[in-house]
Amino acid sequence: MIESNDISLPQLQNWMQGILVKGRPSADERMTIESVVNQSQRLSALRHLNIYRSSYIARLRACMQNQFVALAYALGAGLFESFADQYLDSYPSESYTLNTLGEKFPAFLEKTRPDASLEQKESWPDFIIELAGFEYRLSEIFDQEAAGDQMVLTPNTPDNLLKLTPVLHLFHHQFPICQYYLDFIQNKEPDLPFPGKTYCAVTRRDYKLGLFVIRGAQYHFLKSMQEGKSVKKSMKYLAKNFEFKIEDLEKIWPEWKSTFIASGFLSV
Amino acid sequence: MIKKRDQYREIINALPNPGLGLGLRSKHFNYILEHNPAVDWFEVISENFMDSGGRPRHILRQVAERYPLVMHGVSLSIGSTDPLNKEYLGKLKSLAAEVKPLWISDHLCWTGVNSLNTHDLLPVLLNEESLKHICSRIRIAQDFMERPLVFENPSTYLTFKQSTIPEWEFLKYMAEETGCGLLLDVNNVFVSAFNNDFDPVNYINQLPHDRIVQMHIAGHQHCGDYIIDTHDRNVVREVWKLFSQAWQLTGGVATLLEWDSNIPEFDVYHAELLKAKQYMNRMTGYDLDADVQNYLDAAVSNPVDFLVNDFKW
Ligand SMILES: [Fe+2]
Repeated sequence: MIESNDISLPQLQNWMQGILVKGRPSADERMTIESVVNQSQRLSALRHLNIYRSSYIARLRACMQNQFVALAYALGAGLFESFADQYLDSYPSESYTLNTLGEKFPAFLEKTRPDASLEQKESWPDFIIELAGFEYRLSEIFDQEAAGDQMVLTPNTPDNLLKLTPVLHLFHHQFPICQYYLDFIQNKEPDLPFPGKTYCAVTRRDYKLGLFVIRGAQYHFLKSMQEGKSVKKSMKYLAKNFEFKIEDLEKIWPEWKSTFIASGFLSV
Repeated sequence: MIKKRDQYREIINALPNPGLGLGLRSKHFNYILEHNPAVDWFEVISENFMDSGGRPRHILRQVAERYPLVMHGVSLSIGSTDPLNKEYLGKLKSLAAEVKPLWISDHLCWTGVNSLNTHDLLPVLLNEESLKHICSRIRIAQDFMERPLVFENPSTYLTFKQSTIPEWEFLKYMAEETGCGLLLDVNNVFVSAFNNDFDPVNYINQLPHDRIVQMHIAGHQHCGDYIIDTHDRNVVREVWKLFSQAWQLTGGVATLLEWDSNIPEFDVYHAELLKAKQYMNRMTGYDLDADVQNYLDAAVSNPVDFLVNDFKW
């Protein structure tokens, strides 16, 4: 055992943090809890320290739960907690903000999927990983910096003036992730879905998020506009690459246009 | 160095007392903007707004136009042996430039070391080495921010064998050496005193009262053998008594009720704050609310109002 007055400030902090984060001291193993922490009338030194240790775990768990509400529902409380605990153990927070606590969680789930070593992959881990990634992106979009979230558009606005709104994010998934998320937040208690290619768009209007399930053709059309192409050029792109007839696209365009305007995808 | 310290001290001395304030919580955003409630001022958790380009920042701009604001942070980590986080300080400074707070506060604590963050307000070692270390960091942070900072006594759940200076004395030296201001959280004094066997009345008596620019009051969770600072309920009578004592000693300073979890409707929160008026006069009785204490084990201290992913569907 080393004498308590031999302990330097960095040593003490490393020692305490090691116990909070890893459950064991990361620095000098010779430092016993009793040689560093005072006991009190009611509590031993260990119980004093354990208040910090259990608060640390509970606080970060709760934060993960807030950041991944739909995922926690999909996995169930027990399984979610065990994944979150393993994640926090592997990737303790390095940021001053809790907003980014779950940043590496989707990648962590991918790396540690239970069938990682098996040739035959199961499908539910794919769903879980996609859902985790989607939820994290939602939190980023919510906080995204963008000038003015408002726009005034009508179906009469000429096509050549139309652009995508600054906060429009397009996603494609191997599972109906967006629908699942929408069902979850509307308390519909969705079951684990079957695989199926899906597309969605996420916008922000008046600083609130809007989630929209869209069709594949709409996704590719909007993607093309996102690259800076005009309405006309995006239609041509769709016709050329996805075997659509330009006449059909022109026919359906007024309907798309009013839906896109109503959903807040477009601005001028 | 001494000149700067004296300048900071003068700025702290000249700070106004805006009255009774509440924490700005996302749950109440709409209510506040629609009803303009008669609250004297709001305290905002800096970290909840500094990285937001979305709704929280948008709301904050509107609240800042209508009410005096104070910025309260949890990530400065003034006691850590890691270098100060300049990225964090930079963002803090630009948020301050935007919302123009009356003052900026954080805690006498450290949050992590070796680039990790435990997101907790961890207790500092209270000895001379640590005091020197912390004072030099306060000077750097104040010079960077170009204004004095205000430091709060945290709730503590342990004390170190190596500590040689009582916390009240440590805070007094800090203020003397750097010109910083103090935020006295009377609930934290009560919590720390119970957990670590010291007398809260003596602690408050010994503080340098002229350095105190603000007080916090809050509710806590009694767990039998110890108390956790949960900020999730009404203020207990003993804490109101300490508030009353501190009110007399300071001559009355800006006072804020913290409520970070199980947050009630706005009017309930506001009504709890306004009880403070009954305790500003030494002559009023203390038996206004008899306290019912529930003993529970599953409490988590709540230094931060988590605004993470709060989309408000
Ligand atoms: Fe406080």
